[in-house]
Amino acid sequence: MSIVSGLLIGCLLPLAAQPQPLVEILADELNRNLSALRSKADPAPYFLAYSVVEEESEAVTATFGALQNTSHNHSRVLDVTLRVGSAELDNYHRMSGDAAHFTAAVLLPLEDNANAIRRRIWLETDRIYRLATQRLIRLKTNTQVKAAEEDTSADFSAAEPAIFVEPPARLNFNRNDWIGRVRRWSAECNKPRGVLACSVTVVASRQTKYVVTSEGTRLQHGRGFTRIVMSAQGKASDGMDLMATDSFEAETADRLPREDTVTQAMAKVASRLSLLLRAPPVDPFVGPAILSGSAAGVFFHEIFGHRVEGHRQKDEREGQTFTKSVDKPVLPAFLSITFDPTRKNLAKTDLNGWYAFDDEGVKARPVQVVENGILKTFLLSRSPIRGFPQSNGHGRRQPGAEVVSRQSNLIVESSRSVPKEKLRALLIEEVKKQNKPYGLYFEQVTGGFTTTGRQGLQAFTVLPLVVWRVFPDGRPDELVRGVNIVGTPLASFAKIEASSDELEAFNGVCGAESGSVPVSAVSPALLVTEIEVQRKPAGLDSPPTLPRPTGPGGGL
Amino acid sequence: MHILALLLAVPALHAQPAEKDVILRAMKDELARSRMLRVVDAPPYFIEYSLDDSEIYYVHGSFGALMTERVSRLRQPRVRLRVGDPKLDNSNHIFSDAFRGSRYDPAQFPIDDNYDTLRFGFWLATDRAYKQALEALARKKASLRNMSVPADLADFSAAPAVDLVLPGQRKPIDAAAWKLRVKQVSAVCANYEQILSCDVGAGISQTISYLVNSEGSQIRYPDHIASFRIRAQGLASDGTTVRAYAEFHAHEPENLPQAEFLRAVQQVAETVVALSTAPPADQYTGPVLFEGPAAGQLLAELLGRNLSIFRRPVTDPDRPLNLPSGELEGRLGARILPDWIDVADDPTQKEWRGRPLLGHYLVDSEAVPPKPLSVVEKGILKAFYTTRQPVAGMEGSNGHARLPGALGNHNATAGCLFVRAGQTATSADLRKRLLDMGRQRNKPFVLVVRKMDFPSTATFDELRRIGGSQSGRAVSIPLLMYKVFQDGREELVRGVRFRGLSVRFLKDILAASDELFLFQYLENGAPFAHMEAGGYVAPVSVVAPSLLFEDLELERIPGEVPRPPVVPPPPLVTTRE
Repeated sequence: MSIVSGLLIGCLLPLAAQPQPLVEILADELNRNLSALRSKADPAPYFLAYSVVEEESEAVTATFGALQNTSHNHSRVLDVTLRVGSAELDNYHRMSGDAAHFTAAVLLPLEDNANAIRRRIWLETDRIYRLATQRLIRLKTNTQVKAAEEDTSADFSAAEPAIFVEPPARLNFNRNDWIGRVRRWSAECNKPRGVLACSVTVVASRQTKYVVTSEGTRLQHGRGFTRIVMSAQGKASDGMDLMATDSFEAETADRLPREDTVTQAMAKVASRLSLLLRAPPVDPFVGPAILSGSAAGVFFHEIFGHRVEGHRQKDEREGQTFTKSVDKPVLPAFLSITFDPTRKNLAKTDLNGWYAFDDEGVKARPVQVVENGILKTFLLSRSPIRGFPQSNGHGRRQPGAEVVSRQSNLIVESSRSVPKEKLRALLIEEVKKQNKPYGLYFEQVTGGFTTTGRQGLQAFTVLPLVVWRVFPDGRPDELVRGVNIVGTPLASFAKIEASSDELEAFNGVCGAESGSVPVSAVSPALLVTEIEVQRKPAGLDSPPTLPRPTGPGGGL
Repeated sequence: MHILALLLAVPALHAQPAEKDVILRAMKDELARSRMLRVVDAPPYFIEYSLDDSEIYYVHGSFGALMTERVSRLRQPRVRLRVGDPKLDNSNHIFSDAFRGSRYDPAQFPIDDNYDTLRFGFWLATDRAYKQALEALARKKASLRNMSVPADLADFSAAPAVDLVLPGQRKPIDAAAWKLRVKQVSAVCANYEQILSCDVGAGISQTISYLVNSEGSQIRYPDHIASFRIRAQGLASDGTTVRAYAEFHAHEPENLPQAEFLRAVQQVAETVVALSTAPPADQYTGPVLFEGPAAGQLLAELLGRNLSIFRRPVTDPDRPLNLPSGELEGRLGARILPDWIDVADDPTQKEWRGRPLLGHYLVDSEAVPPKPLSVVEKGILKAFYTTRQPVAGMEGSNGHARLPGALGNHNATAGCLFVRAGQTATSADLRKRLLDMGRQRNKPFVLVVRKMDFPSTATFDELRRIGGSQSGRAVSIPLLMYKVFQDGREELVRGVRFRGLSVRFLKDILAASDELFLFQYLENGAPFAHMEAGGYVAPVSVVAPSLLFEDLELERIPGEVPRPPVVPPPPLVTTRE
């Protein structure tokens, strides 16, 4: 059926007029709206930007050897940024209890059809213009605005218009091949005992971002994201829920590892879960530990990265751990930290936090935030802060959210690095020195969270998946379960003693005010003289009452 | 899109006998084993497994451009398990659905026909359902120690086992053709400057429903529905949004009336244009004629939706539930319609005057076959729709459990509702009578409603305004309503809602037409059966005459409307696509 009709469409298409490209449709409609608003509306906008994110993705998931589902998504969404007032004070100015949130990621047609696209843009611009002017009036009549502010920076900074257009790439994904692979990989979950949930997902996506601003920026650029995510979950006999995971990331599917590499990784995930289910739970503990490179990356992302995001420095509700620490030591002198969105990979691993332009159309650049322990700058969007009037290309968001400053690729560099074995020897030395029964080795973490507000505690939690006890007497390391790392930032940094000489990357997705954005954290393993772990919450029920079914199919 | 086409081209055939069907086999085998579940000697007394095996294709276009295209293949399992006994079990307590443990059973099952993973999924789902049931029953018993429950109703009624294994088949979908169709149909909107938004969508859902229960029922039942929807919006000069829609449904996509789509979109577009220049109507009290399918829409909403009774769940003494009672609750034996009207619901009817009835089905979601049900006899309410959850005044299930419900039960909905009038008039007489009444009461005009907004397409803002500052339950607004003057001239009006309209007004129906009209829609249980509420749907058919009411009240929909945009609409360009 589809072949015949497919041919027909194929013949019809060349007759149609060459459609105007999206970036031009956006620019035309931007000019039309802006000039009409400038001539007829009061107040008139001083800045208008349209950004469109087009994303196409394919995903396949399998569980215990069977295909769970497949999906294909293709969408285009529009975000409108409209500023009324002036750069000094506009509708985006912060006001307690009244968030500046205007945009809503409206769906745009998947084809460059001017009629359909322009109608949507027009209606959305109108909606946002109304919200923007209303908020500006509220701001101007709110006597508290500006009065009690410590940081009196403007609301918007100038930026060089950027012009760059690259053709959108096509998503290259052979679905049937991947279905076969995920089935085979997930069958590894059937081997060890105790796996109750298992999944292998391959997601490949391609994003193209379009940005058009009233300052003349015209961008069309993109990148790919591909991931294999494996997980196995189960319940220990005491009810504790446990999980083991692993993942591979690459920009495109052809850069992912070979099939047998993934098979081995999945087998390890499943057997590791099985081991964890029988591992002893750990009691609360304070003592020395090694964080693997990926664990240390997450540690820095949570504890440090979120606290150097620019917008937090001028928000009075924020804890502002580092606001007044510029040019002062904030980390041990042997550590430096750079956020580098221009870095595409670390050895064979592609980095998630790579981009060419940020979501405000500002060109990406490496930003050294800490040099030999001394804080130099913050991550900046086009919202300036005291002493830092310009964006450094870190204004980011998920479609539908307003831009704030966010992390990209966090890279930790150390001038006090030692080989891996030496780091382990240093840990054992420290265990003996502190007269502890053991030290901990955090091999893998899944993520973490932190609170930066003034109301809450300035604290963080990192969620480890794989933790080993390291004994001073030469016994083999012992896998343990059920702990989370907790702490407070300033106290924790002071305890970093040394690092390994090998960098490891953690790729992930970071969620904050402006939604989820892809990031990565790269770090060497770290020796920390004191880390605190607490018990993770216990499960509320017991493992299944009946044993796993076995049946005429031969059983599982 | 080639991958999509390839995938769709593979037909799914489940024509094999029950004993060879891997899904039914896995369900039966695991259900048999689950009967052994036992903690503190409280075995389940009833277990039901169901699985909806679906492929859903959806394509949406606007002004000639493709907006969305999606194929979803999914298997939605459901396990219902009862502990205790039919007099008192774990269902219908406010915490019947609460589970405090961790969930390992997948929300959607693998789509491979893999016996082992199917059993594995049901094993975990049953384990969770059992733990949840034990906890719910304990909590319910605790609640009942301190509460007295008004009626002495059991929690579950008996039903005989049903064995209905039909061939379940999914046909390949011609995705390219549907994509082209939504683009072509929606492109018509680009001829109308006044149309602000135009959405044309085709949804083809092919589901094979499976069910087995511990009483020995086994079901395999094809449950397909295809819909084609056209919606458009415009703006009146005062800033009010005006809208129109058309929708078509059929079990199989090839039975959708494709030849009518272009005419329908034109009609929708022209209605929007007409409404955008139509004056807002003022307050009105007087006779109203619901013409054609508009009467069926009104009855579906006022009568059909009120024929299922929601049973109040048992709650804790310190958590009083403030739920309004159904408008017909407790009114069995009361007169609710004129004595010359009878109403029956008969889902066993496959067609009406050669047209397929979408409300037809052989078995409901609890494996109960429906029978013809006399709902209203000579104006007297005789029956409610029931599920296996007992309802006061009714004996057992009459096979209307058609939507999943909460707290361990299903929701009852209409099937094929037939409204028969013993006294009728021709359509022309009905209109004459309407005008006569207007003249007698010195009305400059009377009102005719040709389309109600049911199922609703209102925006969220509109819904808030329609329902706002209104006493009692809101009823859908008229979408196509005309002032009819004594000289026969008609004028389209907009912007009003009914005031205080409820099921009680049905007693005052003055006259009905001899002509009957078929109205069909997808019931989803949402307020106004809103089209975008999504989720599970049960197709409903209503056959009814036009209806004349002596006295209804209408008022302006209150609330502020935004001013029209400062920037004029973008010019439309002609494309050759």
